[in-house]
Amino acid sequence: MSVRRSRLAFLAVVASLCLLALPAGPASSATGARAQLTVYAAASLTNVFPAIDKTEKYSFGGSNALAAQIEQGAPADVFASANMTLPKQLFQEGKCSKPVVFTRNRLVIVVPSSNPAHIRSIYNLTKPGVKIVIAAKGVPVGTYTRQVLGNMNLTNAVMKNVVSQETDVREVLAKVSLGEADAGFVYSTDAKTVSNKVTVVKIPAWAQPKVQYGICVVSSSSHKADARAFIKRVLSKAGQRKLHRFGFLPRVKPNRR
Amino acid sequence: MKHAIGVGLFVGVAAVTLAFLALPIVGIYVHTSPEKLLDQLSNPVVKDAFVVTLKTSLLAQAAILLFGTPTAYLLATRRFPGHSVAVTLVELPLVLPPAVAGVGLLAALGRFGLLGSSLSALGITLPFTQTAVTVAVAYVASPLYIRQAIASFEATDPHLTAASRTLGAGPVRTFFRVVLPLARGGLIAGLALSFARGLGEFGATIMFAGSLQKVTQTLPLAIYAEFDQNFDATLAMSGVLILISALLLLTLRIGLSWQRSPSSTSPSFFGLSG
Repeated sequence: MSVRRSRLAFLAVVASLCLLALPAGPASSATGARAQLTVYAAASLTNVFPAIDKTEKYSFGGSNALAAQIEQGAPADVFASANMTLPKQLFQEGKCSKPVVFTRNRLVIVVPSSNPAHIRSIYNLTKPGVKIVIAAKGVPVGTYTRQVLGNMNLTNAVMKNVVSQETDVREVLAKVSLGEADAGFVYSTDAKTVSNKVTVVKIPAWAQPKVQYGICVVSSSSHKADARAFIKRVLSKAGQRKLHRFGFLPRVKPNRR
Repeated sequence: MKHAIGVGLFVGVAAVTLAFLALPIVGIYVHTSPEKLLDQLSNPVVKDAFVVTLKTSLLAQAAILLFGTPTAYLLATRRFPGHSVAVTLVELPLVLPPAVAGVGLLAALGRFGLLGSSLSALGITLPFTQTAVTVAVAYVASPLYIRQAIASFEATDPHLTAASRTLGAGPVRTFFRVVLPLARGGLIAGLALSFARGLGEFGATIMFAGSLQKVTQTLPLAIYAEFDQNFDATLAMSGVLILISALLLLTLRIGLSWQRSPSSTSPSFFGLSG
């Protein structure tokens, strides 16, 4: 009786472990129809990607968090990052294809329309008591923000006014457009999405970091051909026109003559 | 024979349940070596997050104790119009998604919130401050204490309170000398659970207070921030939180068994007994 009981218990444990070890998600890719892709994309692409292709499933967030999820085996087919560093890193680890640049962007400062701290230029951010929100280090826009401050020798003076380090660019934008923060660093394309709630303060061109967006096919994807086709759509004339309409810069910097 | 199969079935299902509940915890401790975990405890991000969490949690629990106890006593001993509305209000944060709590706190206490301008007039701005973390924790954790406190006060023997009153003690004296000692165990249990819930607060905090190392970045926020930066640090912080939570649950059980001995009736805690 007790032997039987313990054997049953043992079987139950084994069965439960097997259940837990089962991979999640559907694995059907043999059909001819185009599969719906899971696209992991930088938060700054939240508005433009569905405009380019509204049939895919999107997961928007900080590129760094998305890359970490892909490293832990998240079921993504395409990874679109707000920098080249993260997809290159995944490529070197064999976790995604060689990334290509598909667009570029520039950084701006946003302030609430009421502009409670009277910010007119980046130098006003050093005034005591200004509540500044930036993205955390590691989040691409957070890294770019620190580059701008470094380029302008403002790192210490501005960082002392930072009241929160957010997890992605849209969180920064939300804190400013709600009026809780006095200023924040975002992409110019993010500012455009809430132009009635925020005012843009420009960052000088010479201090701008190189903001390149990289895209790649995730190695564990079971829809690689479809994923490549998606990237083609983003790189196509139509895709680039959409990006341009949302304020993104052409993927190759035009040559000055 | 039939009996054996029945028992086996229960054991089997229980084993699946326990394995399911234990696996993530085992995973955290197995993922890195104990040395690495201990090493991460001296990481400044981890240390700062620990201090912020402890400070805000202790302040929040003190506030919950101070304001929650009289409220719970009133709700337990008096019936008045709107009583059930008041109880619902007390319990609501328990079932609200933390993100909703965050939005609500911003809409009420943010710079442009309901009380925002009055607070600014007093020179107070809450968002992005440590006080904001404390407020968020107090909001989401308070129902766990108040609910249990109501149950504990309801379980105290009314004859003892009546005896105290007939022997000449006033209501305040009776409350402190008779009711509180009788309910003591249950109150400690409630506070332990409220404390554990407060330690884990994430959604309302990140929305209302933001996240900044040494100021508003609590352990759960630091875990999220370090997830893609330093996985060992996230494991170490998770390990610490599991230990503290387990200790708090143990406190809760001891508290409940305490309550049982002085008073004959034992209150149930969400159907859980000591």
